[in-house]
Amino acid sequence: TSQPSGHTMGHSDQVVRRRARCWDMYQRRFSSVSQPVNLGMHSSSHQQQDGDAAMQGAHVESPVRYTPYAISPSHRRGSFLKQDQTHVNMEREQKPSERRVEVNRPQETLGSWFKITIPFGIKYNEKWLLNLLQNKCSVSFIPVEFHYEKMNATFFVENASIASALKNVSGEIWDEDNEKISIFVCPDGIPDSVQRELKSEKGEQVKLAVNQQQALDIQKLPIYSDFMTCDTKRAPNPRKGVAASLNVHEDNIPKVMSSGEMDKWKGIEPGEKCVDRSPMCTTFLDNSNNINSILELFPKLLCLDGQQSSGPTPCGLEAHKRLPTCKGSFFGSEMLKNLVLQFLKQYYLTYDSGDRQGLLGAYHDEACFSLSISFNPGDSALSILFKYFKDNRNIKMLQNPYLRGQLLKHTKRDIVDFLSALPKTQHDLSSILVDMWYQTEWMLCFSVNGVFKEVEGQSQGSVLAFTRTFITTPGSNSSLCIVNDELFLRGTSHPRTQSALFALVPTSFSSSMPAFSQEQQKMMPS
Amino acid sequence: MRKFRSNWSQGDREGYHKRSGYQERAHTSHSSRERWTREEVVTSPLPKHAATSSLMATSVDFKTYVDQACRAAEEFVNIYYETMDKRRRALSRLYLEKATLIWNGNAVSGLDALNNFFDTLPSSEFQVNMLDCQPVHEQATQSQTTVLVVTSGTVKFDGNKQHYFNQNFLLTAQSTPNNTVWKIASDCFRFQDWASS
Repeated sequence: TSQPSGHTMGHSDQVVRRRARCWDMYQRRFSSVSQPVNLGMHSSSHQQQDGDAAMQGAHVESPVRYTPYAISPSHRRGSFLKQDQTHVNMEREQKPSERRVEVNRPQETLGSWFKITIPFGIKYNEKWLLNLLQNKCSVSFIPVEFHYEKMNATFFVENASIASALKNVSGEIWDEDNEKISIFVCPDGIPDSVQRELKSEKGEQVKLAVNQQQALDIQKLPIYSDFMTCDTKRAPNPRKGVAASLNVHEDNIPKVMSSGEMDKWKGIEPGEKCVDRSPMCTTFLDNSNNINSILELFPKLLCLDGQQSSGPTPCGLEAHKRLPTCKGSFFGSEMLKNLVLQFLKQYYLTYDSGDRQGLLGAYHDEACFSLSISFNPGDSALSILFKYFKDNRNIKMLQNPYLRGQLLKHTKRDIVDFLSALPKTQHDLSSILVDMWYQTEWMLCFSVNGVFKEVEGQSQGSVLAFTRTFITTPGSNSSLCIVNDELFLRGTSHPRTQSALFALVPTSFSSSMPAFSQEQQKMMPS
Repeated sequence: MRKFRSNWSQGDREGYHKRSGYQERAHTSHSSRERWTREEVVTSPLPKHAATSSLMATSVDFKTYVDQACRAAEEFVNIYYETMDKRRRALSRLYLEKATLIWNGNAVSGLDALNNFFDTLPSSEFQVNMLDCQPVHEQATQSQTTVLVVTSGTVKFDGNKQHYFNQNFLLTAQSTPNNTVWKIASDCFRFQDWASS
């Protein structure tokens, strides 16, 4: 039912528009990567008068001449699809040249690829979306390998500053339904086209390395998975960094954030399962209405999705044995989660403040602390870790009992003095992963995994990854008192670390949390 | 079960002289001292508790606990990863009955669950590159002697790519007059790149 121009959009228009959108999404979902660009919704389409779904978007950007009025409605769909295929071919021809441009890069840019994801981007026409992004983005970018992955739209960019600029656009753009569009940036992933180019060069080198079992940082080799035996890695999972940082257990979205930070989490339903159950979708679901409209028209979408394989099937002698899915933080209970996060917030506020003497109140008089590091030959972070070498307590390598004793710091005074001598840091609490792994009436034991930046000294700006294990006892004022503290450091020259600073939730915790006061220190069990 | 010399601290020093200081073993599960398989982590008897109510242990006592913790940790790590790699079915015997394991965020609790879990895990090849340990303060353990063990290295599970891992254990001592048997009270395991697994 068409309406004359000038009228505001009626309900039937909305329904029709939605159906058209769903049809487009359906096509994108089940077509190949190189999607026809022109047959979806355009931002100006809401101006269109004709309610017929098949004709929506036909006026837009279509280089192929389309004469809808000449064809009966039942045949329009047929033409629609044909045009589809024509565009697919044209797109394919365009893509390789685009790829070639990207591929002639020096190898140093390996690892500087960023995957940009727009959750529920399947709703959007590629050109429309990219135009919108480009208009809003302060930096011009070349999207590589734009495609739809399940419900999302993704593409790659090759530059950290571009990725950062795109990240800033997140939430600043709206679609035609006036819904905010979010952009997520993941610093991992090499576009397939680039990988293939590299493969031919690096293939032999990598094979050799793997066979000799050199201590390479496996994570740095972009194509290792091709040479290892079958990988059970699930295909479209987000990699490290921002997406991973949000991949926390559904109970564990921390409550300790300020109101500004909470806005970023609005609308996210941690427990809500998306159609394809990929972690990305689960976390980023922003409007259940969209899912409903899709399901309304395509109730089989769920089934179809479920039947799709999630990755290469494992092979080998024990094909029936699988690694369990890796999950995010584990807390055990809401109460403990709050307790631990509160503690960590307070601890790192003081730790990063520039004066670590305030930590005296956090430790038991007879607490223990030790530090250990891990590094690989060829790791560019070697120089950053150098300053920690002398305190590295690795008893696998260190046999001397005297030194073993010396390297273990004992008493809170010694511990805090030692910590105070370490470089000033900035920890990224928004991207930490916590495992709370032992609990009794008197003991709470948890490990924190994350990254931090050194903000002073020769290695200023360097990012290190850490795993810190705390054994605590109940302290006064429902706080925790540290009796054992083990800090494990490792370098990570992998771009993952940069992602920590792209975290969605800003790390500007309010300073209303008191540091451990003198009174509290006195009340601590001694 | 192995017997240690009663004056084990003396034995320690001799032992250290024999071994070169910075040997690196390609595979941690090989121990040159072992000639028979073991299914328990056993060390010499623990020193008797100092009869003091004060929680300020003397430095001698503390040093003793540190040394003891190191011996337990070394012994434990050798046995644990060898058992994990080569005799997986025996692995759960190293755990207390109510022990818990958090494996990449998955919680496994109790011996039955642990048995199931280790059974479904593909075969493994561990290489431990780092080992650190601390005696856990008795305030947290209510005087149950406990050691924190922290390890790091690489692991290759059959059918999967190699991963870097971090692992922590709490070992508790069950003492008899002749020896001390160490068991795992809790275990926390993480791939360093868990997000891409």
